[in-house]
Amino acid sequence: MARDVHSPNLRRRSFLKGVSLAGAAALSAGTARAQPEAPRRAETPPQPNPAAETAPPSRDPATQTSSGGDFMVEVLQSLDIEYVAINPASSFRGLQEAIINYGQNRRPELITCTHEEIAASMAQGYAKIEGKPMGVLAHGTVGLQHAAMALYNAFCDKVPIYVMIGNILAAEKRAPLVEWAHSAQDPAAIVRDFLKWDDQPQSLQHFAESAVRAYKLAMTPPMGPVLLSLDAELQENPIADRESLRIPKLPRTSLPQGDAAAVAEAARLLVAAESPVLIADRLARSQAGMDRLVELAELLQCAVIDQGGRANFPWRHPLNHSGRARSVLAQADLVLGLELNDYWGALHAYSDRIERHAAPLTRAEAKTVSLGTHDLFTKANYQEFERFLDVDLAITGDGEETLPTLVEAVKRQVDAGRRAAYEARGKKLAAAQAAMIEQLRRDAAIGWEASPITLGRLCAELWEQLRQEDWSLVGNGIGVFWPQRLWAAEKCYRYAGNSGGFGVGYNAPGALGAALANRKHGRLSVAIQGDGDLMFAPGTLWTAAHHRIPILYVMHNNRAYHQEYMYVQNMAGRHMRGIANAHIGTTLRDPNIDFATVAKGFGVYSEGPISDPREVGPALQRAIAVVKRGEPALLDTIVEPR
Amino acid sequence: MRIVSRLAAAVLVAALLGLVTPAGSQDQAAAGDVGNGRRLYLADGCFSCHGRVGQGGQYYGPTPALAHSELPFDAFEQQLREPANNMPAYVDSVLSEQEVADIYAYLRTLPGRSDIKDLPAILTH
Repeated sequence: MARDVHSPNLRRRSFLKGVSLAGAAALSAGTARAQPEAPRRAETPPQPNPAAETAPPSRDPATQTSSGGDFMVEVLQSLDIEYVAINPASSFRGLQEAIINYGQNRRPELITCTHEEIAASMAQGYAKIEGKPMGVLAHGTVGLQHAAMALYNAFCDKVPIYVMIGNILAAEKRAPLVEWAHSAQDPAAIVRDFLKWDDQPQSLQHFAESAVRAYKLAMTPPMGPVLLSLDAELQENPIADRESLRIPKLPRTSLPQGDAAAVAEAARLLVAAESPVLIADRLARSQAGMDRLVELAELLQCAVIDQGGRANFPWRHPLNHSGRARSVLAQADLVLGLELNDYWGALHAYSDRIERHAAPLTRAEAKTVSLGTHDLFTKANYQEFERFLDVDLAITGDGEETLPTLVEAVKRQVDAGRRAAYEARGKKLAAAQAAMIEQLRRDAAIGWEASPITLGRLCAELWEQLRQEDWSLVGNGIGVFWPQRLWAAEKCYRYAGNSGGFGVGYNAPGALGAALANRKHGRLSVAIQGDGDLMFAPGTLWTAAHHRIPILYVMHNNRAYHQEYMYVQNMAGRHMRGIANAHIGTTLRDPNIDFATVAKGFGVYSEGPISDPREVGPALQRAIAVVKRGEPALLDTIVEPR
Repeated sequence: MRIVSRLAAAVLVAALLGLVTPAGSQDQAAAGDVGNGRRLYLADGCFSCHGRVGQGGQYYGPTPALAHSELPFDAFEQQLREPANNMPAYVDSVLSEQEVADIYAYLRTLPGRSDIKDLPAILTH
């Protein structure tokens, strides 16, 4: 796709205010050639133009001493934007040049990506580890179109991303051909359904205020992507009066908490319940969120189901019953949903049959309470808000921020008699969880020596290498359940969650963004990486190598879009046609993709294909040694489909 | 297509819960062709949800391990013909009764769960 083709004889900009004396002097001395602006990238060499070359010099300055982009960099620095991921594009050349020269490519530092989807997904993964947004800079048209799916994922995942795009507002300022094709009246329109807010500033002061507003809105729960459309003239032209510009401070923001009376009511219901169950999805933004949920669960000695949008609850905690959710829900008389996007789905079994039908997983008399910010920001078009559940008490407020109040309210109501009953309840739950883990270990051992490698074996080998490290599972594309069941995760950064919108192509770049955030903390980042997902954005590997981002990709290479294969099987079964053709359009064979060679081509250490399970452990040790040196590595392990 | 009887459904549920022993299983296993069962298990896509060695897997949620299945043959066939969950249906024209018996025989030959004391050391951490 050609993005930077410019006709060499076309003027793009009008006379600029604030040009440098040096530039003006050079012009007055008649040393300038007739070309007012050199072509940035021409497909063919310019043809001789004697008339233009012999014409007298115009008063058309070629240099300037400041740019709007410089001021924009100062604003981004005030927001402490650490990185900006880009695929280079002419519509933001002004800001790009200001970042690398005026800002010396430090806070923000540019991260070079080979696709805008990679840039946006990296920002999503980064934010979930670092707890703040990363910048993305893209063409306002074609670049934003590339980034769209990743922004949708982030929107569904309630993750802040700070997107900036280039645009050329004034028609007479656009060069013919490409710059018209790359300009839009309202470039954010194509993604506005899944943005939290956007603006197109008309001045530098307007930019400063909108930039701070955007950051504040992105970081106020429910969090989400924001976008600023930056006019090229605003980025590139001199600053008329720097003294008149002011960068607003970023306010300290008090996050929304649940109403005190409603929280007290929830506490009363929890304390009185015989079998309360807590379900959490995108609850823990920080360690405090996980710690408070542990405190609440231990106070009540009740079961917790962690849906895995974040690492909400320690995976091996005796009260973690995520692996036996249906059992605990069947017993529940009270369910508290914490930052759930799909509460209805959590409480119902749904059948993918000709006549679709649902069955509740809880008893009819079970009470339901929700706590979250979901109701504070919902849009209409995309249906990611899921089916409506008529809960008994809906508390609108940030889950993590409200938990301390809820914990205190529960503490006040628990007396000695209840405490004894809770301990008995906790012991039963702990025993059931221990039995489940024992069963899972026995399941994981089935086919221990089989080739292709079973996922149970792969995850056991991986855990053996990680358990003594400060690790972070930054990607688990299809949600392989073994890590959450058999590994011990007691820190919120141990897991960076999922894509949010189930848009395939997130895992590889999302994991890399999380690894980028983990780098300065010295954590060992690992991603279980699907083959189909990596093929959407394999250039992610080049970014990992180029920026020396330490991450270990362990391939879940089943040579298929296997979930889709199973869906086609389902259809073929329903239509009684046999499943012999289900591989058509769903598999990645003939030829098999050699991911180790692909990775090497991008400059990433790699081994594989590895199909003998006995080779996995030693290969992991070698690859982890590479990652500990600060480099990326990939192991192409050939594994069972599921 | 057969009608799901309450009795068959009850047997299936009980078998899944491990409450019944596979009465007649050995007879059916003997009647089935293990080699053909393995071929069909892989060719007809059973492996895609349950794993090539019957270790189980994931579809909408976890799918059960079938290695050394304890499911009685009748309940096994019933589940194939009219699945009790989201599993695809396999009608007679796709899998004959003999082929079902072959697959069943193959699954009975697969090593099932080990005793906890026999687990690989790295699974005990």
